Amino acid sequence: MPPFKDEQIIIIAPGSETTVAQLGLPESFTPARLRMRSRMFPADKPGEWEPYKIRRRNDKVEAPAAEPQDGAPEDVESKTNGTDEDVIYEEDRVSEEGAVWPIQEGKIVNWSCFFALVTHVYNALNPPFHTPILLIAQPVWTPKEHEKLTQFFFEKFKTPAFGLMDAALASSWAYGIHTSTVVDVGKDKVDVTAISEFIPHVQGRTSSLAGCGGEALTQSLFAKLAPRSWSRDMCEQLKKSPICEILPVGAPLPGAKEAGEEAPITNPAAAASTGAPGSGPAAAASIGSIPRGPGADTEVGDNDADEEGVLDVASIVTGGKMEEYLANKEREKQEKADAKKKGGADAAAAANANKPIRLPNARRERATFFYEDHRLLDNLKNMNLGSERLAEMQVQLDEGPQRQGEGANGEATSAAEANGSVDAGNTNGLSGPIRRELEVGTERFMAASNGVLEKIADAVHRTISSVDEVNKRSELWDSLIICGNGSKVRGFKEALLSTIQSKYLISPSSATMFTSEIPSNISTPAGTGANTPQPQLGPHGGAPSHVNPLLYAATTAQTQHPMPHNPTSHLPGLSHNAHSSHGQTPTSIKLVKPPEYFPEWKDVGFDESAFLGAQVAAKVIFVVDQGQSKGYMTRPDYNEQGPSGIHDYAL
Amino acid sequence: MNTLNSSSAPAAGEYAGDEVAAIVLDPGYSSIRAGFAGEDVPKSVCPSFYGHIDSDSGSQYLYGENAIHTPASNLQIKNYWGSDGIVEDWDTAAKVWEYAITSRLTGARAGDPAKNGLNDGTKENGNGDAMEVDMETIENQEKPLEESPLLMTEPGWNPTKAREKAIEIAMEEWGTPAFYLQKTGVLAAFASGKASGIIIDVGASHTSVTPVLDGMVLKKGVQKSPLAGNFVSNQIRLGFKQSQPEIPLTPHYLVKSKTPVDAGMPAQAVYKTFDIPPTDSFRHYQEERVLTEYKESVVEIWPGPGRLSNGTNEEIAKNTPGRPFEMPDGWNQVFGVDRFRAAEGLFDANAALTDDANPRPKDEHTLPRLVQAAVQQVDADQRPLLLQNIVVTGGSTLLYKLGDRLNYEINALYPSTRNKLIAPGPVVERKYAAWIGGSILASLGSFHQLWISRKEYEEHGANIVEKRCR
Repeated sequence: MPPFKDEQIIIIAPGSETTVAQLGLPESFTPARLRMRSRMFPADKPGEWEPYKIRRRNDKVEAPAAEPQDGAPEDVESKTNGTDEDVIYEEDRVSEEGAVWPIQEGKIVNWSCFFALVTHVYNALNPPFHTPILLIAQPVWTPKEHEKLTQFFFEKFKTPAFGLMDAALASSWAYGIHTSTVVDVGKDKVDVTAISEFIPHVQGRTSSLAGCGGEALTQSLFAKLAPRSWSRDMCEQLKKSPICEILPVGAPLPGAKEAGEEAPITNPAAAASTGAPGSGPAAAASIGSIPRGPGADTEVGDNDADEEGVLDVASIVTGGKMEEYLANKEREKQEKADAKKKGGADAAAAANANKPIRLPNARRERATFFYEDHRLLDNLKNMNLGSERLAEMQVQLDEGPQRQGEGANGEATSAAEANGSVDAGNTNGLSGPIRRELEVGTERFMAASNGVLEKIADAVHRTISSVDEVNKRSELWDSLIICGNGSKVRGFKEALLSTIQSKYLISPSSATMFTSEIPSNISTPAGTGANTPQPQLGPHGGAPSHVNPLLYAATTAQTQHPMPHNPTSHLPGLSHNAHSSHGQTPTSIKLVKPPEYFPEWKDVGFDESAFLGAQVAAKVIFVVDQGQSKGYMTRPDYNEQGPSGIHDYAL
Repeated sequence: MNTLNSSSAPAAGEYAGDEVAAIVLDPGYSSIRAGFAGEDVPKSVCPSFYGHIDSDSGSQYLYGENAIHTPASNLQIKNYWGSDGIVEDWDTAAKVWEYAITSRLTGARAGDPAKNGLNDGTKENGNGDAMEVDMETIENQEKPLEESPLLMTEPGWNPTKAREKAIEIAMEEWGTPAFYLQKTGVLAAFASGKASGIIIDVGASHTSVTPVLDGMVLKKGVQKSPLAGNFVSNQIRLGFKQSQPEIPLTPHYLVKSKTPVDAGMPAQAVYKTFDIPPTDSFRHYQEERVLTEYKESVVEIWPGPGRLSNGTNEEIAKNTPGRPFEMPDGWNQVFGVDRFRAAEGLFDANAALTDDANPRPKDEHTLPRLVQAAVQQVDADQRPLLLQNIVVTGGSTLLYKLGDRLNYEINALYPSTRNKLIAPGPVVERKYAAWIGGSILASLGSFHQLWISRKEYEEHGANIVEKRCR
């Protein structure tokens, strides 16, 4: 009988942004059930942490009365302070003001906060006794930190068994491939790990390469849009929306007259200085959208608020000009509606210019998405309005499609929600954050314009080049796995692959192609007895698909070495030239195809493949092989060996 | 208890080092190897090169692989090693080593300003005495190695001053509870399971030949020469420069995208432009990466018999098939006999390419002559024993067919003895031999009496390292 049952196993995968966890392995593996933002809020006592923001409220007149019937997001948990009856604490489950993020760039920077987070996750899972825990470890965690974690898990949760698994290795388990290069794009960092035969190559791995993750993409958008008074949060949501896309190297920006001589992605300077390149009237006419100049001042078209930079509604609200703003808005709405009715009016035509034409996103110059204004909501809450009033304001400000009616799967919001907090698992239309419609130009294609892709590409090249077994390298190049939530941005994977290909792919040398037709090493018999060439393919078999097979055969045959000159002096390990056609790698670069047999995962994508791999691994080490592979440490092991024993067990 | 020597075990203040995993640190010119004793490969391999940004707001130091490959306008890439194979810049060396240990082994301590500022640290200088004051006031200030004893490696020619400096850093700055210093030669021999032998170590900056007898280095026999990996790189550069037409060497960071071109044709790549071009040292370091690839995939050593220049050897070499190489900008060519010339200088000083900046290497610096000189210093009756155990180690010995050639040369020098070359097969064992030997040594139960404990250090001062680590 296996030592553990499927439904007892806990898997926790902490991340810089989101921590995912699950209790029990279902029959068919599903994405993690529990998703939490990786943050805690400092409690009143230093060193103690709360999972939600605790807000102090001073009013006693309005709020308590209004609470019972409100459907507002905050789960009000008012308790009066013992001495001072006026002070009321309430939990705000949406706000993230003042949060502490214990993991940064994959590293654990605040241990007490991190432990509190893990404890919170553990309690949220509410496991029964006898639950083994598998923790997914970030590559950047050091052995000493592994020991610290082991100690914590055994002593705090009294777990009967504990396993640690490297995130990169977990991804390769998910794909079921023994040799691969895992590029894990996180929030602030990228890890690149070469794995050969299920063993991560620790020496040359790039762990926690800063400034390359999803945050860098947001910052890059922010840098472009800040002049138009966009906030960082808006950019973050823009990044998550499907209209944000990273175009492959060399693809022209929409609105550009022709494919520029330079790739738009890698040319931030030119793109930034001119706004949308090639904004001539001709281009505009051909695409049917509004031409744009370099800045907001030269804007032509209608007088929509978003066009002249984004209105900071949040500060309007705090500034007390709320009524005025609302009135204005109402009027605008009315006008818009009227215009729509008229149909042929110029203004309406301009405003809706790009609606009738259903172009793919990459060809449209402008697009809109719904922005969830958390800050506005925060401000509203801070104003101590009554809940009814609050709800009313929300409805008035909300521009998004009615959630109940059209469903929450309006194109723009669905993506944001996939990543959004699950804690506020409320689908009530009133409870959601206030949504506003924002329009954005070609900036949305420039998320990776600050050299992120090239930095990652260089790290990949470096990592693979540092693998000692030269003959493994071509296989590593052929099995790239790009995962991590930072790579979720549309087009990211394709763009990264094309960046790597355009920079590092070695084309078959034309020199060997021509000379090989007259095999020169046959014509002049050398005194070494090596005049018989032995044309055969390299150990990796067939030619890469895109290479002309003749050419491939030619280069392969060409690089065969004659027999060793001194057969008596065989030195082992000089398999130096054993790899395929070219001495150099890569001659081909490919992504690994995601596995087919996880239907639930297929729907959401394999960005969190590390979690899937951990599920597979948990099944194997805890259940299938009955603990024979020593993939986890048991309580008796721990009692005997102490925390440092984990190194013998960790995967 | 004033007579300290390695044969009598110290009774008081002895450190039980086998209870806690010791850390083994093996710094080299190209990379620093660090890891826990008892493991088979070092967990942390960091470049010895570091970045230095000198700006108006003060100078900034960047350590580790991640930080030094991104082009920045005034990023200088430096190395703390001196040209003579001895650490030159001790302050930085200590920082780089500390980074190698903390980044991948122990982790930075929370709340420790010295560690937190490691990668953005502008407070580099004055760390020494400022720390002293801090130690008294800040209670939670922990030193990076307070829990782990440290075994460090040193080159065979390390002077007393450098050895004392090493123990000072370990004890004072890192707070290690116990310390030991061992020569790389001995450790490489241990890694191959030998207590005696001749260790040929071809590294990045230096080649050394060390005779080891019963775990002790025969000091007068230690030979070193600058003909090693970097020398081969320079030979390749010279070869590129002297070829007609000159072969362009463009590092990756300058290229945005490349297009395939015919062999020998000028590259047609899209280049990147920089407002302020990165420094020469940065470019040099990046070019070195290309050269490493070239060395791995193209360079071959003429395996013998005889030198490349002997008789018809060059003809034969010409007729062996060439190997293609593509530069980062797409330029490509098949290298024929040139690929044999690049490393021939290691064995034959006459064959080395020269120009004004690169004079002809000295004859006594070539590998065969080094081995000869080292063996010369050994008693005649010990020579056969040593020649049976010739251990080949160091990253540059991975040059294709270096072993064959070495075998030939040594047999030519000593035809009457039974010479045996021990070249470990797996690449890691070749590259990290000294570290692996250290890992074995430090995890031996009998080793713990050799540790220099903190107490002993405090009693006898830094000079204890001379008495105890021989």
